[in-house]
Amino acid sequence: MNHSNSKYISNFKSWAEQKRFLNFTDEDAEFLKKLHPFAIEYADTFVEKLYDHLLKFPDTKRFLGDEKMLMRLKLAQKAYFMDLTSGEYGEEYFKSRIKVGITHQRIGLPPRVYMSTYCYYMQLIIPQIYGNPTFDFETANGIFLALHKIINLDQELAISAYIHATDEVISRQTEEILEMSTPVIQIWEGVVAAPIIGMLDSSRTQQFMERLLETIVATNSPVALIDITGVPQIDTATAQHLIDTINAVKLLGSQVIITGVRPVIAQTLVHLGIDLSGIITRPTMASGLKVALDTLSIKVVDTSKA
Amino acid sequence: MATEETGEHPIKSEGDIVTCRKLIRTAAVAAGFGMTDVTRIVTAVSELARNVYVHSGSDGVMRWEILYQSGKVGIQLEFEDYGKGIPDVDQAMEVGFTTAGTMGMGLSGVKRLMDEMNIKSEIGVGTTITIEKWGRAK
Repeated sequence: MNHSNSKYISNFKSWAEQKRFLNFTDEDAEFLKKLHPFAIEYADTFVEKLYDHLLKFPDTKRFLGDEKMLMRLKLAQKAYFMDLTSGEYGEEYFKSRIKVGITHQRIGLPPRVYMSTYCYYMQLIIPQIYGNPTFDFETANGIFLALHKIINLDQELAISAYIHATDEVISRQTEEILEMSTPVIQIWEGVVAAPIIGMLDSSRTQQFMERLLETIVATNSPVALIDITGVPQIDTATAQHLIDTINAVKLLGSQVIITGVRPVIAQTLVHLGIDLSGIITRPTMASGLKVALDTLSIKVVDTSKA
Repeated sequence: MATEETGEHPIKSEGDIVTCRKLIRTAAVAAGFGMTDVTRIVTAVSELARNVYVHSGSDGVMRWEILYQSGKVGIQLEFEDYGKGIPDVDQAMEVGFTTAGTMGMGLSGVKRLMDEMNIKSEIGVGTTITIEKWGRAK
């Protein structure tokens, strides 16, 4: 996945900027480092307590999976605790945080669960900071604030990863809709039909034209029906797109019939001064198909009346 | 979508052209315009919104207002952009004149679709096009 062109996921440079905004300094890194010996000693206990808690709730339990999965998660959690207190918050740290965010989104972990797990995490750690006899009050405060800052940075990255992933889904779906909305189908030996639904803008035209030309060649069709029943209005740009498409089809030696020209569209086209006189048009797809069959010298007979 | 009798929408992307069309279609139908007039109005909106998008470096706005006057209903639309301006408005109105490699029928077409059309343009400042369409009130 390419993060560089995402508007949500910060790159490492903007993350550094974010650190400056939060006033996350080397001093904070030092404070967090003070927690490291403690993390090494108590990480296992912490992780056990955390997962005991998560397993109590069906909402969180269902994301923890089987024994093997649980083991992996616990190890990852332990590693995170180590990273969090390592004193190193550079590019490596940044990348691993983004990866976690994307993984959370992929397994469908709701942000609500992610956030509340963090909150419980803090409930376990904070008493240990203030209750530690080797930290005086000022040091404990320093550690607490530094922890708050780094967790805020982590959460921001994770939430951005969530939004980014959702954004990717939306743009993929938009593309899919775009493709679905311009189907090209063979409706008779030698006749393809393309019903256009919605406005024909430049990005759709490109796709539509490609698909139409490919299908015409693949099916060896001398006639193509382009149905505009589902086009709400035609402005000069749309008309230009249509004419370009028609010209491209002509270059293949095939012929286009525009069908589904509604009375309001006909009036608007005349008012706009768009000249479609060189193009065969019909009010309905049925009448267009008839023209197509006549062109191919095909006669359809109603056998019930024969 | 709630219908408003007056409002505005920015034109900064191609998607905004779609939104402008939708807003005005909804507003014109709600005001009681017939389908033919609705199509004319929306076509004009499409045309002018695209002009703003293409010619202004995608920086403009559409404003609209529904008007009522002695048994008639009208819609007034204003398209304002902060683009380079039109050097010769009369020439721009000519059929087939284009600076964008398009058909060059947009502005003259809009004039025929609408009852009123007014263009104010200043080089380096921008262009404001106002259009009006009137129909029988329901």
